Amino acid sequence: MKGRYEDENLTWIPLLIVGIFLLPFMLKGITYSYKYYLFVLNMAGIYIILTVGLDLLSGYTGLISLGHSAFLAIGAYTSAILVDQVGIPFILSLVISPLIVGIFGFLIGFPALRITGMYLGLTTMGFGFIVKRLIIALRVWTKGAGGLEVSPPVIFGFTFNSDWDNYFLIFTCAIIAVVVGRRIGKSKIGRALMAIRDSEQAAEATGVHLAKYKMLAFFISGLFAGFAGALFAHTSHFISTDHFDIILSIYFIIMILVGGVSSIYGAVLGTLFIVLLDYLFVPELKDLIHGVFNIEGGDIQSLLFGLIMFLFIIFQPTGLYGMWIKMKIYWKLFPFNPKKRLI
Amino acid sequence: MKKATGLFILTGLLVMGCGNRASAPGVSEDKILIGNVQDLSGPMKELGAVLPAGSNLYFRYVNENGGVHGRQIEMKVEDHQYNPQKAVAAAKKLIEKDQVFCLYQVIGTSPCEAIRPILAESGTPLVAPATQSGSMSDMSREAADLIFHTDTGYDKQTRILVDNILADNVNAKIGLIYQDDDYGENVLKGAAVAESSTGVAIQKEAYQRGATDFAGQVANLMKGGATHVIIAGVVKEPIIVMKTAAAMGYAPKFYGTSPTMDHRVSLAAGPAGEGFTSANFASLWNSDAVAAVLYRELCSKYEVPEAYMGMYHFYGFITAQVLVEGLERAGQYPTRERLVNGLETLNNWDGGAFPPITYSQTDHAGTESVILVEVKEGVQTVITDWID
Amino acid sequence: MADLHINNLRMQFSGVVALDNVSFSVSGGEIFSLIGSNGSGKSTLFNCINGFNRPQKGTIEFDNINLLSKQPHEIIQSGIARTFQNIQNIPFMTVLDNILLGAHHRIDSKATIKRWLSRSQREAEEAMGLEILDFLGIANYEQKYMTGQPYGIQKLTEIARALVGKPKLILMDEPAAGMNDQETQEIAKIISEIRDELGITVLVVEHDMSLVMSISDRVCALDSGKILAMGKPDDVKNHPDVIKAFLGDSDDA
Repeated sequence: MKGRYEDENLTWIPLLIVGIFLLPFMLKGITYSYKYYLFVLNMAGIYIILTVGLDLLSGYTGLISLGHSAFLAIGAYTSAILVDQVGIPFILSLVISPLIVGIFGFLIGFPALRITGMYLGLTTMGFGFIVKRLIIALRVWTKGAGGLEVSPPVIFGFTFNSDWDNYFLIFTCAIIAVVVGRRIGKSKIGRALMAIRDSEQAAEATGVHLAKYKMLAFFISGLFAGFAGALFAHTSHFISTDHFDIILSIYFIIMILVGGVSSIYGAVLGTLFIVLLDYLFVPELKDLIHGVFNIEGGDIQSLLFGLIMFLFIIFQPTGLYGMWIKMKIYWKLFPFNPKKRLI
Repeated sequence: MKKATGLFILTGLLVMGCGNRASAPGVSEDKILIGNVQDLSGPMKELGAVLPAGSNLYFRYVNENGGVHGRQIEMKVEDHQYNPQKAVAAAKKLIEKDQVFCLYQVIGTSPCEAIRPILAESGTPLVAPATQSGSMSDMSREAADLIFHTDTGYDKQTRILVDNILADNVNAKIGLIYQDDDYGENVLKGAAVAESSTGVAIQKEAYQRGATDFAGQVANLMKGGATHVIIAGVVKEPIIVMKTAAAMGYAPKFYGTSPTMDHRVSLAAGPAGEGFTSANFASLWNSDAVAAVLYRELCSKYEVPEAYMGMYHFYGFITAQVLVEGLERAGQYPTRERLVNGLETLNNWDGGAFPPITYSQTDHAGTESVILVEVKEGVQTVITDWID
Repeated sequence: MADLHINNLRMQFSGVVALDNVSFSVSGGEIFSLIGSNGSGKSTLFNCINGFNRPQKGTIEFDNINLLSKQPHEIIQSGIARTFQNIQNIPFMTVLDNILLGAHHRIDSKATIKRWLSRSQREAEEAMGLEILDFLGIANYEQKYMTGQPYGIQKLTEIARALVGKPKLILMDEPAAGMNDQETQEIAKIISEIRDELGITVLVVEHDMSLVMSISDRVCALDSGKILAMGKPDDVKNHPDVIKAFLGDSDDA
């Protein structure tokens, strides 16, 4: 019998992974400011882990969360406290911190059993504010609003001290996260989550326990956010409540929207796109425009970011992944190019 | 896909970004490039425009007078939106890509804290971070040997205010209203030091950043019988607190930390604000201090818009003086080490606005003094010399 | 064979009586049709069996299990699957994934974890779906995304999703709605095959009289929540009350 994965050409995945690990060497070869690019890529890597989890929650299940920067914060602070104050090894904290954040996700899932849409967004947003106050109030462990210094990651005696080291750690974790995210998305769980989003009746009739799966979605999403948070804390050496602003949660939602909702690769592409746009491309463009027109820098930067987002959503509503699929089909059928759209 | 995008962007950047690498980064025959990270589009963007403008005013003056050792000073400003993560990215960009000689006046406590590892890794000095957090001059911290703080920290300001109150009145009962964030955190640290050194208990009341109602805190202080109240707020907090207290018939003597030293406080508080005494780490821009006179002269010469002039613009101006002094002392062929060594030779250096600044290998606080400014008949009047 | 027994069922929505004292039984291996005009309570009856609506009075038993004590998601485990009148497919999943959604209760959690690690479990799952696809003759659609597929394929996928759960009883809510004559005949053939080849009892709600008459073993006519007539298709068709209720209407029109 024909398996449905036989058509999917898997050879590019190992190639891509090799490419990811060769990238720093290439960067080092071509530019002396490679550390700056590695830093931006590292951040994208951490955010990818989070957005894969967010995609399972908001993309697959349709439960919008505007509290994911708070989940990231809980993961970061939990890991920082566990490693630096309790004395647990980093590698163990990479397991415990996600679980703790997962439990928080589980608790936040309760309101989601009754409310959806914008109201759930507001509830999770409120959760974000609570977490911020909580971090400040627990100053015995978190040093309050002053921020907390965090030790670098140590695995089996090896200390990850630079952006270079961190890159390999973060992208190993990101690849694991993407693979796990895809496996979840393509399995029984992913199908059930998507069914909840599109038709609760159909989901229930096929035996999906709505409450259980909604909570599960929050739990899984929390796991990913906690994993990202632990990496975030230890690779950036310093965390404070300013790192986890509410605007970051909105950025995360934009990332999965741009990538194309309910596709894990979409979340990855969207995250890369937004981070590179926001941290690399827009500042460069700003420098360029600044050089020509001599306008105040800050205003153009937000303007450019907004403009690019705006144009993107108007002209490419299916997201980056949709664009990629279309391109793939186009080339597959070339030159017999049908004028038919895929979706 | 990802790789291709990355490569595409990188090649683009490479074409644009190939600067020349002279002996020290950012230093060429006729130019020194310094980097500044400001909040240009975040919650403090009003300062983001004014502070660099103040610095540029002084740089322009220096450049028109031949520059530093014949080199023109050029400043590149990046945006961090008050997000520490963005601050790190911006600092990396300035140091790794734009190859600035040093960083100068990064605004905000958490952004400054967040960039410590980069400073340490690249050996880039940070001169005059625009934050009054005492942690900036804590020599036990990472990269502390590269950070040169110019402002007296909130912790020291609080301690000095407590000492000053007790010197006035030994039986004073002191109350403290503080903001529930990193600023307040620093104030609390100073209060704790003062409590242990003087043995006086301070009644502490917190408020959330952005709060507009202080009735609860004021009532608590009234109940606690505080006779002297220190307000560690910004501008609107002291105004509301003093008006609330006046309405409740409660009249302690009010004190404030440096951010409350704003002429708008006395304007808006009216009679309730009479006698309000605030600490400041520099002379006032409209005073007769040497730097203030030069500042006003340059403002009229270069036709600085009225809206820019004020304490923050002046602050950008006077920190630029410290930087330029450091660059002068770094010598004809500046390197980052020479800048650090040059700044460490500052000994009771008086730029005409800050208290005399002294740096050494073991102390990068610069100064620990403040002046007290009291509102007398609605006018801010300096009532003390530098005290510490 | 499992039988469905419905006794004295009464369902009321704030004043409106949707089902009034409805009792009937469907024996195993039967094709049983419910007919009636819009609002006669057919879909409500399905929703009661399915657990979406909670009747105020009466009992529903299937295979000697009291269905009213079950949650909606537990009904499928008792052996009852259903299709919906307005198609409830998941647009951004492939046809195969849509079908496998129906196999949800057949795949336990352990198998899911195994699926993440090995290919054999993945293939076993696919085999479940492909078996049904072959049965319905739409195997070449497996990898297509649901959205944009022709209406007939969407309808068949809906049926396939119910069948893949290996039910003993399938509830079909207007399977031929919106279809042309040829497609309706196709559906009629499929319904017969479901009973004959897979041995599944079929309970159908349908408007299309010719379809009902051609496939049903027994027919039940509902009007305003009450049973008008029940029995062999021809008997029901010729029952005076039924003629009055249905054909009488058309005389007026």
